[in-house]
Amino acid sequence: MNASTDPLKTARTSHQLLDAHPLQDTGPQSPIEAEVATLIVDTLQLEDTPASIDPQRPLFNQGLGLDSIDALELSLALSKRYGIELKSDDDRNGEIFANLRSLARHVDQNRTR
Amino acid sequence: MSWAVDRELGSAFMLRIMLWLALRLGRRVCTALLYPITLYFYLRSPGTRAASRDYLGRALGRRARKADVLRHIFTFACVILDRVFFLTGSSQDYRVEVEGLAELDAILDSGRGCILLGSHMGSFDVLRAFGRGAPVKVKPVMFRRKQGPLTALLEALDPEMAASIIEIGRTDAMLRVQESVAAGEMVGFLADRDPDGGRTMPVDFLGEAAEFACGPLIIASVIEAPVMLFFGVRTGPRRYTVRFEPFAERIVLRRRERQADLRHWIERYAASLERRCRETPYNWFNFYLFWNPAGSAGTVDD
Repeated sequence: MNASTDPLKTARTSHQLLDAHPLQDTGPQSPIEAEVATLIVDTLQLEDTPASIDPQRPLFNQGLGLDSIDALELSLALSKRYGIELKSDDDRNGEIFANLRSLARHVDQNRTR
Repeated sequence: MSWAVDRELGSAFMLRIMLWLALRLGRRVCTALLYPITLYFYLRSPGTRAASRDYLGRALGRRARKADVLRHIFTFACVILDRVFFLTGSSQDYRVEVEGLAELDAILDSGRGCILLGSHMGSFDVLRAFGRGAPVKVKPVMFRRKQGPLTALLEALDPEMAASIIEIGRTDAMLRVQESVAAGEMVGFLADRDPDGGRTMPVDFLGEAAEFACGPLIIASVIEAPVMLFFGVRTGPRRYTVRFEPFAERIVLRRRERQADLRHWIERYAASLERRCRETPYNWFNFYLFWNPAGSAGTVDD
């Protein structure tokens, strides 16, 4: 679940990051990503395990298959757990909800608890 | 547009015709034109005829005749023409009776908004007949992406209405629903169709299982909003009856019994809709094979 200890994998990850194309690498879940993944699975009662959610796979539509109702449930859960208020008039919603990584990053930067 | 395939009767297409005519010819000429328009759709759209006959047979409880189908299409044409006058604010001489306003006010007076479950029965836009004195402001949740030029035209006619539309398909659409209800507004869904290929459930409706959308009821449960039913049916020339019907103070979907609880509420919605279909059968405007949409010719538009 956390950063892999496999030296080859670690090397590849840092290489990718230096390569200016970090989005091409899936990479393992960071601790906050794992936490948000668990929240997603619990809130939406998904059959996937938290660890199986690829941090860069789209959460909605063709990716994990979530819809706008899931987005609502998720944002209510995020508000309860982290004190994050997501607003519908925020133009960044598309980016925030793009994938687990972007959502976890938003949580990390905006949490009040 | 569905007419490219079969001229199946979609309200977007019909509305476009009516807008064009109404804005040029006025109400009287348009009203006279409703007869040839009805006949045209009857003759040119086998898909519409089949859907109408299929539905009417169930709602009337007997085999639908030619005259029934013609009356069905005629009622639809009338309602669409009325809709043009509602949208353009020229419906002052319409008589609209409202039932259930006290129940609605009881909810709204508490400062909370609610979810309004409408359907493709009669007209949602009849609420606009009240003009500025409208008893309620409703934000219709709509599937907008595919409407293109029609949406642009409606926006030009009634920008205030257009701005209040919540567009389905956006990730944050339901967040806006939640914010609106929290602010004491009413959010309306046309709950007899699933516009977005979303979650549906088959429940009994007029004697056979049909797929109904789960979305509106799930949302109501998530945001803990009261739910009212809305029917605005045409009862005669320039006459409508609007009915608000209390449906649920709160919808609770227990975590472990979610599907069963959801089924309970969707069955109740379908049963209410069924009662209205039997009362005012010609106000039903889903001109596709409702019980077997895959068997319909062409696509369905709003």
